[in-house]
Amino acid sequence: MNNSRVAIELNGRTQDMLVQPGTTLLSALRETLNFTATKRGCDQGGCGACTVIVDGNAMLSCLIPIETIAGARVETVEGLAPTGGLHPLQQAFLDGFATQCGFCTSGMMMAIKSLLYVTPDPSREDAVRAISGNVCRCTGYTAIIDAALDAAKLKSVPASKAA
Amino acid sequence: MLQSVIAPRSIAEVAKALAKSAAPLLMAGGTTVMPMINSGQHDVATLVSLRNLGLDKVSISKKAGVTIGAATPIAALSRYKELAFLAGAIASFGSPTLRNMATVGGNLFVQRPAGDFAVCLVALGASATIAKAKSSRVEAVETLVRKGLKPGEIVTQVSFPLPAAGTFKFRKVGRRALNTPAIITVAAVVPLVRGVIRNCRVALGAVVPRPARASHVEALLEGKPLNLETASTAAMAASADIDPADDAVASAWYRARVTPVHIRRAIMGEQ
Repeated sequence: MNNSRVAIELNGRTQDMLVQPGTTLLSALRETLNFTATKRGCDQGGCGACTVIVDGNAMLSCLIPIETIAGARVETVEGLAPTGGLHPLQQAFLDGFATQCGFCTSGMMMAIKSLLYVTPDPSREDAVRAISGNVCRCTGYTAIIDAALDAAKLKSVPASKAA
Repeated sequence: MLQSVIAPRSIAEVAKALAKSAAPLLMAGGTTVMPMINSGQHDVATLVSLRNLGLDKVSISKKAGVTIGAATPIAALSRYKELAFLAGAIASFGSPTLRNMATVGGNLFVQRPAGDFAVCLVALGASATIAKAKSSRVEAVETLVRKGLKPGEIVTQVSFPLPAAGTFKFRKVGRRALNTPAIITVAAVVPLVRGVIRNCRVALGAVVPRPARASHVEALLEGKPLNLETASTAAMAASADIDPADDAVASAWYRARVTPVHIRRAIMGEQ
């Protein structure tokens, strides 16, 4: 077995690690680096719970062998919030009761963040399409879509609101 | 047991890795390979990623047509206004997240009911450039999807002529509105010359083992004016072109039953 050393830029900081062959980005995040906000749902690319942003594009971290993205910029939910505050997406999810069990939430947020990069003022249809690869089994899609549209309207969230 | 995962930077390195490993497997976007790896139900020793070969370039000109690097993600195609005719096909392909990963080349090798983009390529009369360590060859995509690659080969790019405005047709039917595998996929290029159909190509997916042309349908379209009667009559002939199977999406019986309807709707551009 050939373990290899891989570095990625995770939420703006370089993370260096030693991994076994075939370690997915998801496993590296959760088990090697202890970034557990990204969830493992199906491990088959079907549920979207593991969605993260790689080099600016939303991707399924369970389908990426970490060795193939050495040097990539990876963004997870842990990187969204400024210290002591909330990202507009998080604020919109909080205000709109857009989480129930919360398991799909981090994947939903990263899929929506990826949408807002390219479409800062999305239509409802845009938001629906953006999360079409993310499964919510609490059937909370309406609140999540509303939160995506609300987040697009929130310019910034003051740090004090997080308290 | 997976022994190593590599992402070579040259085709020569890929060839070397393929020759050296007892059980190598090529991987492009990973959307079909990685579910298998994650399940543990495999005997792959070396996973060879095509991500770092620089095969993600797209070039488009009226004269030379369209050339797409095999590792280009499906999502990247929506950046080109010349490829706007593919917008419906792209939007029907998985989710936006999946489209950021799944590649044009990888889609040639996925099993039904997936493989919608390969169906488009067959309809467009695309050819694939296939490279080995020291040589390369060109093969029609409709042949490649049926025969597959020989050991040591990789697809580096696909090329096709731009279809005349309004001649490309696409229809995919699934169980859900978005992010759905296909009950049937239809892609076609139906050119009109002096009011009649000339050199049409109709391709099917999900109702055939591999993406394939519906030659019986094409024969009945050829030389006829494009109208509902022509399309209905030609579409009925598809029963000789299909070999549907049961899966979680639909039964073979249902697929056979609805195939002519969806071919007709595709050709006529009906909703």
